[in-house]
Amino acid sequence: MASTAAEATAEQQQVNGNGDQKTRHSEVGHKSLLKSDDLYQYILETSVYPREPESMKELREVTAKHPWNLMTTSADEGQFLNMLLKLIGAKKTMEIGVYTGYSLLATALAIPEDGTVRDPASCSSYATNRRFSFSPDLGTDEETLLLFWQILAMDINRDNYELGLPCIEKAGVAHKIDFREGPALPVLDQLLQDEANHGSFDFVFVDADKDNYLNYHERLMKLVKMGGLIGYDNTLWNGSVVLPADAPMRKYIRYYRDFVLELNKALAADDRVEICQLPVGDGVTLCRRVK
Amino acid sequence: MASTATEAAAQPAAAAEQQQVNGNGEQKTRHSEVGHKSLLKSDDLYQYILETSVYPREPESMKELREVTAKHPWNLMTTSADEGQFLNMLLKLIGAKKTMEIGVYTGYSLLATALAIPEDGTILAMDINRENYELGLPCIEKAGVAHKIDFREGPALPVLDQLLEDDANHGSFDFVFVDADKDNYLNYHERLMKLVKMGGLIGYDNTLWNGSVVLPADAPMRKYIRYYRDFVIELNKALAADDRVEICQLPVGDGVTLCRRVK
Repeated sequence: MASTAAEATAEQQQVNGNGDQKTRHSEVGHKSLLKSDDLYQYILETSVYPREPESMKELREVTAKHPWNLMTTSADEGQFLNMLLKLIGAKKTMEIGVYTGYSLLATALAIPEDGTVRDPASCSSYATNRRFSFSPDLGTDEETLLLFWQILAMDINRDNYELGLPCIEKAGVAHKIDFREGPALPVLDQLLQDEANHGSFDFVFVDADKDNYLNYHERLMKLVKMGGLIGYDNTLWNGSVVLPADAPMRKYIRYYRDFVLELNKALAADDRVEICQLPVGDGVTLCRRVK
Repeated sequence: MASTATEAAAQPAAAAEQQQVNGNGEQKTRHSEVGHKSLLKSDDLYQYILETSVYPREPESMKELREVTAKHPWNLMTTSADEGQFLNMLLKLIGAKKTMEIGVYTGYSLLATALAIPEDGTILAMDINRENYELGLPCIEKAGVAHKIDFREGPALPVLDQLLEDDANHGSFDFVFVDADKDNYLNYHERLMKLVKMGGLIGYDNTLWNGSVVLPADAPMRKYIRYYRDFVIELNKALAADDRVEICQLPVGDGVTLCRRVK
């Protein structure tokens, strides 16, 4: 359930027999919102794991060894995002909050090869982590760097992204990703300075600092296209949204709980979007832009 | 959790349910007003979702239909409000126009569908019981979307087989919602695999079957839950193994498995 590094390190950590750090939670990094762990395991074992792409399995296993693995997107949510993106035919997406990249990989596997050439100079991080693809139409001149990016991915921590990146590269989809290290708000504000970016994104997944969701929302309302979709993650916040304020709860749960409650009320009242709050993962609220 | 008239009517448990009559003289079961509990870890959490994100956005016509249905003795069968909202959004997201519904009851998911698809969208809706459909129909008419619905009373399999006789119907449906007799889901599936378009979507309802899919076979459970449980478990295995579809099993309502046709 931790969504920031500080949250994750505060979790009680134990070391198991293999020397892997293991938190109190299940191997997927967190419990579900369902009425029993058995039911959640049933869904995973019956419908998720048998269909999970090899690259996603690998990334999940790499992540499980990481001390902050509570932050990862769960496998059932990854599968849902992947299907959703295919259903809506998303081509140009954004992700705020990457961690090791499980939902990012789910996204990259779902969206089609775009083939649009972008100007390398317009991407500040193109010199690092770039996948260079050579289009047969443009010849095989090794001096030519063709930039294909369709997923703008932002996180304050590049190291975690680089932990999962080999799995994404092995899956052959890393070239779709434009990763920017640092806070997202400045990037969004920069994007908004160019009218061409307004209403240009098909889908945005927000899985980051809860105290900034509403700030992201204001900008995303201009960046996402009409009929486009935003997914806000962790909106049921471990179920704590229904606990009394004085109930015992982890520090970081308590700290961000008010922001989550406020977010949920604000989204429900926002007539620029139609909403749907699903109990997948830790709760994801889908917002479809209608104004 | 009853999903067919047979299940609901033959349900001694329903009669055995402690029923109270509330102040308005309406029959009220032990369950919440939506007719059934959720799969979530607490009723409070489920109520939170309903009150925060569902009810404030529920169209008036759907609210009315829900209230009409709440008075019906088989209201356990109805689609829940959160699932109705999800279907409505899903249909808009995929731009569905030509849809089908197997299992209607009073029409809550049918109305959610009719409100989502465009003016010239169509829904082929089948149920063995026309009376229940007619209970909800006034709400659908009032909403101005009844013209999109082609209701057929009777079992669905013959209708599907008849559709398949004409090649023009193959691969013609954008979306199908199956919320009916669990012992026939796999029979529907074989036909839907030809009727739904490539990339089209089928939703199978009740695939977590009140959570009973994880109970030991000898655990105490209602008769109809036990009876259909094996069919649901078999369905889930079959869908997971079916490479003609990509799947996603969501814990919405009583569990809905989305199947996107890829072959």
